[in-house]
Amino acid sequence: MDINVAVQAAPFSMNYGYDETLAGRSDIGAVVSFTGLVRDFNETPDVTGLTLEHYPGMTERTLKEIGEQAWQRWSLQAVRIIHRVGYLAPGDPIVRVLVASAHRREAFEACDFIMDFLKTQAPFWKKEHSNQGEYWVKERASDQQDAGRWG
Amino acid sequence: MHLTHLNTRGEANMVDVGDKQETRREAVASGRIVMQPETLKLLSEGGLPKGDVLATARIAGIQAAKRTHELIPLCHALALSKVSVEFDIDLAESCVHVTSLCRLNGRTGVEMEALTAVSVACLTLYDMCKAVDKNMCIEAIQLDSKQGGQRGDYQRINAQAPIVTGEGAAGEVSVGERCTSPCVRVKFLAELRERLGESDAVVGLDDLASRDIRGLKAALAQRDARFSVLTDQRTLCAINQVMANDDALVTDDDEVAFFPPVTGG
Repeated sequence: MDINVAVQAAPFSMNYGYDETLAGRSDIGAVVSFTGLVRDFNETPDVTGLTLEHYPGMTERTLKEIGEQAWQRWSLQAVRIIHRVGYLAPGDPIVRVLVASAHRREAFEACDFIMDFLKTQAPFWKKEHSNQGEYWVKERASDQQDAGRWG
Repeated sequence: MHLTHLNTRGEANMVDVGDKQETRREAVASGRIVMQPETLKLLSEGGLPKGDVLATARIAGIQAAKRTHELIPLCHALALSKVSVEFDIDLAESCVHVTSLCRLNGRTGVEMEALTAVSVACLTLYDMCKAVDKNMCIEAIQLDSKQGGQRGDYQRINAQAPIVTGEGAAGEVSVGERCTSPCVRVKFLAELRERLGESDAVVGLDDLASRDIRGLKAALAQRDARFSVLTDQRTLCAINQVMANDDALVTDDDEVAFFPPVTGG
């Protein structure tokens, strides 16, 4: 299983994982990636930044397990998951998932699946900073419903 | 520091031990074989097709220790004065721990003999059980201690990788406290930590009415009413970084984390 996960405070590039995954390979037919960014509006209209806390150790293991579940479900050639922790400003990339497969459908679905489970299972917590003060972000029922789609 | 099995030209070479003093040498090695719980049950009840697994593996380990020099190219043949192979069935970890002690009065160490005994005992366990379980995994074969010899004694320090959690600023890390008497180390993460005003707690196992998460929550709530928020349905729990529910058992030195629903991504 070609699965790499990373959790880091440092920024990562918008094409993280792409060149490294494709280097020297011609069997990959599709690469789907998702990059999540910090919005400047969420629970309040003027978010100035957010701080991400996580549970070191469990976080990495959970991400790896989610990647492995995707690997069992679809025929994949590479999975890359990277997630930032610490302080992030609006516009910063916060998470990136990259999936390579021979065919597009598998890559699309696996990427979608990984994000759904990352949002509902990986031990990250967001605290938003806004002009009205700071607060912990509430979980969303829609995220649970999204994860429930996969049965 | 140099490798004694290489000569000055870097070639493999048997060490001349003729001039060494005879001393009492002892080495302890250990390893484990992890298997399905059902396999372990069959093994401990003697229900496996090849018969008494542990007795066979013990003999295999002892025989192997005596024949180490035939397997490992540059080992000397040793007149061992004692070889023991012990098994410890661990239901919680679903594995058999194998420990071997080898001893002699001689000029070379006996760690290779102890390691070989453990290895072959594990292989024999595998062979005896493989009809019902092919997923078994032999792990962590290692030297635990050795005594005697010119390089002196060695004792493996079981330095478990410190389990850490976010504390204070996100991404920062703290090393959990260690217990002296049987206890669990409790972590509160994210919003829960701020609400409780605490990041860590240590709870003695003897203070638990039941040695599970439910008992732990009750013991904490008894200590301070603030902890009653732990019984909130939204509060999640992990034991040693694996998600757990109220019925999950806790054992000595476990790390138990309580945290709110996750909001990453």
